[in-house]
This record gives sequence, structure tokens and C-alpha cells, in this order.
Amino acid sequence: MSKTSWMRKQSWLGYVFILPNMLGVLLFFVVPALFSFGLIFTDYQFSNPNVSFTGMDNIKRMFQDDQFYNAIKNTAIFLLSVPVSLGLSFVVALVLNKNVYLKGLLRGMFFLPYISSGVAVAFVWMLLFQPSQGPINEILRWIGIVSPPGWFADTETAMYAIDIIQIWFLLGYNMIIYLAALQEVSPELLEAAKIDGAKSRTVTWRIVWPLVSPTTFMLLITGLIMTMKSFSIIQAITQGGPSGSTTILSLYIYKTAFSYYEMGYASAISWFLFAIIMGITVIQWISQKRWVHY
Amino acid sequence: MNNLVSSVKTKMPLTVLMLICGVFMILPFLWMVSTSLQSPSEVFTRWLPSKLDWRSHERIWTGDYNFITYYLNSLKISIISTVGAVFLSAFAAYGFARIEFRGRNAMFLVYLSMMMIPPQVIFVPKFIMFNWMHIYNTHWALILPGLFSIFGVFMLRQFFMSIPKEITESAFIDGAGHFRIFFKLVLPLAKPALATFTIIDFSWHWNDFENALVFLSSPNLYTIPLGLQNFILENNVDYNGMMAAATAAIVPMILIFIIGQKYIIQGISGSAVKG
Repeated sequence: MSKTSWMRKQSWLGYVFILPNMLGVLLFFVVPALFSFGLIFTDYQFSNPNVSFTGMDNIKRMFQDDQFYNAIKNTAIFLLSVPVSLGLSFVVALVLNKNVYLKGLLRGMFFLPYISSGVAVAFVWMLLFQPSQGPINEILRWIGIVSPPGWFADTETAMYAIDIIQIWFLLGYNMIIYLAALQEVSPELLEAAKIDGAKSRTVTWRIVWPLVSPTTFMLLITGLIMTMKSFSIIQAITQGGPSGSTTILSLYIYKTAFSYYEMGYASAISWFLFAIIMGITVIQWISQKRWVHY
Repeated sequence: MNNLVSSVKTKMPLTVLMLICGVFMILPFLWMVSTSLQSPSEVFTRWLPSKLDWRSHERIWTGDYNFITYYLNSLKISIISTVGAVFLSAFAAYGFARIEFRGRNAMFLVYLSMMMIPPQVIFVPKFIMFNWMHIYNTHWALILPGLFSIFGVFMLRQFFMSIPKEITESAFIDGAGHFRIFFKLVLPLAKPALATFTIIDFSWHWNDFENALVFLSSPNLYTIPLGLQNFILENNVDYNGMMAAATAAIVPMILIFIIGQKYIIQGISGSAVKG
């Protein structure tokens, strides 16, 4: 018996290997996802056993809901943290890649926020941002800012305070991945550029930055998706307040489902969130060729 | 020699600058530990405690629902989920990486699309399903879905594909079946990848707040993130206690990070750059 035909005969074993995992994925991911899609067209409200089909009502309601638009606006502000964090982490990675001692220690210091419990750091930041006595405003007063922002107490600034935490949180993760990408950049190429008389700034922006563009693109996309899905830091600090100013889309879904028990409506909004993520992923596939230099 | 001097000259100031930035990154943690050791009157007034005051730490480890309960709950959920997820993911990853069977690509596509679904989409149906299954408000509600990691299948499949085909093919010729090859050859070769996934998956379960928030309601079942939130909602002016509780939640992850730093960084950069 030839080797390949023997292997082909064993192909049923493939099902044996993936079956245990596949059953769980079906039960806990695929079935709930399909179930959730069905719920969009109902008025399912957990407390009320009578369910009726409402067709497109939930979707119509969504586009007439001021709180929904407010959540989109807040999500957009939240997402600003992603490119800002990317820029900062690129600079840090450039420096850490070459010109420092104590690389391991420094890498660990920048990475620590990412590994620590989101809820715990949320509460630490809540006290750091405390308006009247918190250390951050103390420092701002000390450097001469007479009336520093109210941060989480103020509807105008609360979302930006969340952004600062998110930038801090994502920085180490982005930096680690940039470091890995920078190590792939061939030293010969940089040597050649230097010999041709290019300044190090030119080398950085004309050679290194384009070379790591696949990484930048990937980090931007995954960062946007990750940030769009998460809400635990916000839930821990503000629960979406003051007066809805930090209610992002993912938190609004959670509240609609589990505070107001409007499961059908929550499903409609959650599929809207999925549509955005899907859109971003499709854009990634399409634009990859144009945007990214390999 | 000249080279060495100039490299010290540029390296030293940059190291100092980066150390200052690094200290700013970990300042919240330093402030947290420092505040947890202060007396109530010292909060917000000084950076370091005048003398170490351990009462806040004592407070969170004793009492009705204390951090011992939360630690045990978190340990139970995280360990069972992680062990199960590592094993089940490795099994499936081998199937996807090394065996050709009909529908393989279609099934893998299903896995791929599930990665894009935000957790909010499946919270509601899972909540309803778990009520039917009578596992809402039990640890099973976190453990059962935790056994199945889509990310784990991806990551380990990636790694298994990188193992040279010649190694497994020569085992085939010697008459070994897929099971023997999986257990005796592939799993031992994949130890670094398994360690990486173990640490990442464990940290994910340890820090998971959102699932616990949705699926647990009895305080004696709370995990650390949920217990922490509960403690802080009930003691929202006890700043020393809050910071002692936050310290208790963060310290284990810091220890795991220090021990497994190499694996965590390899795993994160590997899966992201190649993925």
C-alpha cells in the first residue's frame, strides 16, 4: 500500500481529532450566534414569556434611538486611542530595539499594563483621576494649571480619560509586536542606506516605517476590533456615565440586554457591531495589497 | 574602542529617558501598592506611607466574601478551563494541520468567522441557553465555554504546520498511527507553543470580567475581577481597601508574567506577526 493512499484511508481520523472541539464550538459559539440573529426579529424580553415576531422593528428602532447614536459617537472617541497608542509604541520600540541598556527590564515595564487585570487597573486610574485630590490633578496644579479637568466627573472629559487608560493599556502590546517586526528588518538594508549618506531620520521614515507597514496595518485593525468589543474598564469605572457620556456601543448592548432585559433589541445592536467589525475586516483584505509593502 | 565610547554616549541618555518613561508606565501600580499600605488619613496627601499599615490588606482577606473565596473560585475556573482548552485545541489543531479530510477548509472557515463575532452577540443567547441548561449562576457557565478556544486552535495549528513533514512521515512508514504521532511526536515537539498558549489562556480566564459579570450572580461564586468590583461598590470611600484589593488582583498576574515572560512575548508576537 502506498503511503498516500494509506494516509487517505485514515482521513476519517481527521473528524475524530476535531470533533471534541467542534462540538463545543458549535454549542457555545455557532448556535448562540444563529440564535442571536433570530432574536433580532422578536421582542424577546426575558421577563416576559410571550414572544412575538416583530420583523424589522428592532432595526428601525435602532436608527431612531438617540442613545444608539450617542454610543456610536462615544465609540468613535474611544477608538482614537488606537492610532495614538500605535504612534507612541512605534517610537518606544525603535528606541528599545537598539539604543538602550536593560532591554528586558524596560520591555517588562511597558508591557505590564497589558497583562494586569483590567478591572483592577480601572479602579487605580479612577483614584488617580479623582478631580479634587487625585495625584494627576495635583500634578497639573503644581505645573500651573489652575482649574484642571474633572475627568470622570465631567461629561466633556470622561471619554478622553478612558482614552488615556486605553492608550496606556495597549502601548505595551503594540510595542512587543513592533519589536518583533523591527527584528525582521534586514540590517544590510539599513547599512546600505547609511553608507549612501541617509540621515537616521530619513532611514526611519523612508525605510523602516514602510517596511513595518504590514505590522502597523495589522495592529490598527486588530486594535480597532479589540477596542470596539471591550467594555470592562468602562463598566468598572463609570458604568457608562456621567449621563451616558462614556456609554460605548458594546456597553450599551450589555446594558440593554442585562439591565433593561430587552434581549431582542440588544441583539439588533450587537449585530450592528458585528457588521462594523466585518466591514473593517473586509477593508483589511481588500486594501492589504495597496497599503502594505512586503 | 572609539565605537564603544560613542555607543555608550548615545545609549546612556536614551536608557535613562526610557527608564523615566517606564516608571511613568508603572507609576499607577507603585501608587496602588503605596496607597494600600497607608493609613486612611494619608491617602492623596503623600506618595509614600509614613509607616507601613497592613490593616487594609488584612481587611480584604477576612470578612464575609473575602479574597480567599474569590481566589479559589478563579483558580478553579482558570485551571480547569485552561487545561481543557490546551488539550482540546491541540487535538483539533492537529486534525486541521496534519490530516486531510473532506470539509476541512469549510470547517476551518467557520472557526475563522467565529473569531470575528463580538462576545456581545452571543451573550444574550448564552444567557438564555444557560438558564435552560440550569447552569446559569454556576461555575459551569464559565468553565464549559472556556474549554473551547478558537484562538488556541489557530495558534497551535500554526505551530503544528511548522513541524517538518519528514518527521511525521517517517513515523508513518515505521507504522505509527495518527494518535501515536500526536502524543509521542507532535505534543513533545510543541512544548514551547503549548506553554505559550497555556499562559495566555490562563491570564485570559484569570482577568475575565465580562463573562463573570453576565453569568454569575451569587457573591460566593464570584471570581477575582467580579469580587473586586463588588468590594469596591460596597466600600467606595475606603481608598486604602480599594487599593489593597486591586493589589491582590494584580500580583498573581505579575508573578506569572515574570516567570513566563519569554513565552508570553514569543506567543503574542508570533501569533500576531504571522497571523
